[in-house]
Amino acid sequence: MENFRKSSGLKRRVLVVDDEEINCEILGNILRGRYEVDYAHDGREAFGMLKNASPQYSLILLDLLMPKMDGFELIKVCRGSSGLKNIPIIVMTSEKEAEVKSINLGAVDFITKPYDMPEVILARCERIIELSEDKTIISSAEKDNLTGMYSRDFFFEYIRQLEVYNRDRLMDALIFNIDHFHLINEMYGRKMGNMILKELAQMLMNIFKDVAGIGCRTEADTFYVYCQHQFSYDSIMKMIQDNLPDLSETAKIRVRMGIYPNVDKDVEVEQWFDRAKLACDRIRGDYTKAMSTYSSELHERSLYHEKLINEIGEAINRKDLIVYYQPKYGIQGDKPVLKSAEALIRWKHPENGMISPGDFVPLFEGNGLIQKLDNYVWEEAARQIRKWKEKYGRTIPVSVNVSRIDIYDPELESKLLKILENNDLTSEELLLEITESAYADNAKALADVVESLRNKGFMIEMDDFGSGYSSLNMLTTIAVDAIKIDMKFIRNMRRDDKSLRMVKLIVDIAKFLDVPTVAEGVEDEVQVEVLKKMGCDLIQGFYFSRPVPPEEFEKLIEKDMAG
Amino acid sequence: MLTVDDLKNFGADTDTGLARCMGNEGLYLRLVRSLCDDPSFDKLTEAVEAGALKEGFEAAHSLKGVLGNLSLTPIYDKVVEITEHLRNETEMDYKPLIGDLNSLRNDLKKLCG
Repeated sequence: MENFRKSSGLKRRVLVVDDEEINCEILGNILRGRYEVDYAHDGREAFGMLKNASPQYSLILLDLLMPKMDGFELIKVCRGSSGLKNIPIIVMTSEKEAEVKSINLGAVDFITKPYDMPEVILARCERIIELSEDKTIISSAEKDNLTGMYSRDFFFEYIRQLEVYNRDRLMDALIFNIDHFHLINEMYGRKMGNMILKELAQMLMNIFKDVAGIGCRTEADTFYVYCQHQFSYDSIMKMIQDNLPDLSETAKIRVRMGIYPNVDKDVEVEQWFDRAKLACDRIRGDYTKAMSTYSSELHERSLYHEKLINEIGEAINRKDLIVYYQPKYGIQGDKPVLKSAEALIRWKHPENGMISPGDFVPLFEGNGLIQKLDNYVWEEAARQIRKWKEKYGRTIPVSVNVSRIDIYDPELESKLLKILENNDLTSEELLLEITESAYADNAKALADVVESLRNKGFMIEMDDFGSGYSSLNMLTTIAVDAIKIDMKFIRNMRRDDKSLRMVKLIVDIAKFLDVPTVAEGVEDEVQVEVLKKMGCDLIQGFYFSRPVPPEEFEKLIEKDMAG
Repeated sequence: MLTVDDLKNFGADTDTGLARCMGNEGLYLRLVRSLCDDPSFDKLTEAVEAGALKEGFEAAHSLKGVLGNLSLTPIYDKVVEITEHLRNETEMDYKPLIGDLNSLRNDLKKLCG
């Protein structure tokens, strides 16, 4: 993989500038075997060709005495032009004096006239091209210590360098990623993790050297590969998957691959890999797919996401983001009683209409903007609780989401307390929902924050319980005040006996821990009856009401109060 | 029909000249033939006759490069001599030198047929 320049068979371009046709022919005859050779017969013609060259020339062989624009002048204009100043120039002259002058002006070497023997000329050209290309990329640290692949900076620089001479070739940008790599590190140890990274790196280097590929490792388990366009990656992917070591008899390592085929050479190199990453991220968590290819539809989607990201601040200011409320009813009495509500965000976009939270919440979770959104919801919900308290003389506690990133916010507690203070509320009136799966890799941090919040009187509800792989484990380290059963189990309860038993199990665990259970996604009476019989305490779902704006929610309060 | 031997007899260092053409005889002979019509010969003659030594130097310098590359030693040596005088803008009678040069050129032309 390391010597792309030689192995790829790419021919560098050389421009011979001499007004004597015979000299051009002699040089051309020497150089043609190894380079693409073009000719100019004076400085002005050469300058025009250099400016419009694609791919760019790797070397200029320059005669000095010429009509129109002489060699000295051409050196000067090239050195003064940002696009041309890095092209090495070898001057061809018989005059000692001219050698010094041209080197001073910026020529890198000279060939004497009459010409040296062809081998000498070829060796000189080769050495100068190599030096000049290496010089540009040598500055960045070359290799990743662990895997021996290129470092990210070097990799990008190398590609940019290759592209100067490689523009017309179809190339692909690829990203490889190991599923749940942080868990492999955690469960099998860093040594094992490193071993897997090394194996994958070695495999990628071996596989892609045949298709003029180069590769690097970026973050922990992300590998970039840049190679000649391939019609299909099925066999390559199979080879990788078959050759990766097994973690245990049952656990296999899974590699995901994002492909951006036929990269668009008019956009930046980094963007090629952003696009491959976009494709790769799309199949995160989807165990049915190991490969994903970037498409224009995906591009549209990412532009749309970009737009949403740019507009979120303004949307908050304009109050385009509206908090809806979905009631939770207690079902253990004779008739259902309105107990509390969950705050759910809606985005009423001036151009795009109602945007579903499914479209923007995961997006903002990914980039940290969710914190801004969460803070907004907390404030809105607190104001609403206060308003209803004043209007109806009773508290409807509202649960709000606390995202993973909020847990790491050192000001989380003070922010929440300030919001309560501003609305003259106590900490039992604003319920906090956390999702256990979001903290699997750092349960300790979550446990500390939750404990501290509970000490301040906040009630913590664990959301989506049962869906993560460490749900039970979580309960041993974190004390919570309510458990919300994952909607999936409720939905499947009727036709899938396992789901039914799972719900029963969760309700029993909650009873054992002496905390109430909340069932989400309840849609019909049969489900209500089943849950009631099991001992589930609270129900949230379309059976009672979909999430509604505050004005509509007030009708539910009034109805509840009317008994 | 011009041959390498003809050039050797003429005094050219054909080994070196051919080596520069990477042993390609056809190319070497073709380039030598094309040299006979190089406009720099006439430019040099005219410039020197008109006393334009600078222009004369440029033409001579060009010729020197090409002749050197083809290793046409007798003409090359003559042109080197002329070039040096012109470089120094030596005020002198260039006629004999130019005459020698043109006669050598004619010899070569004859060889080329």
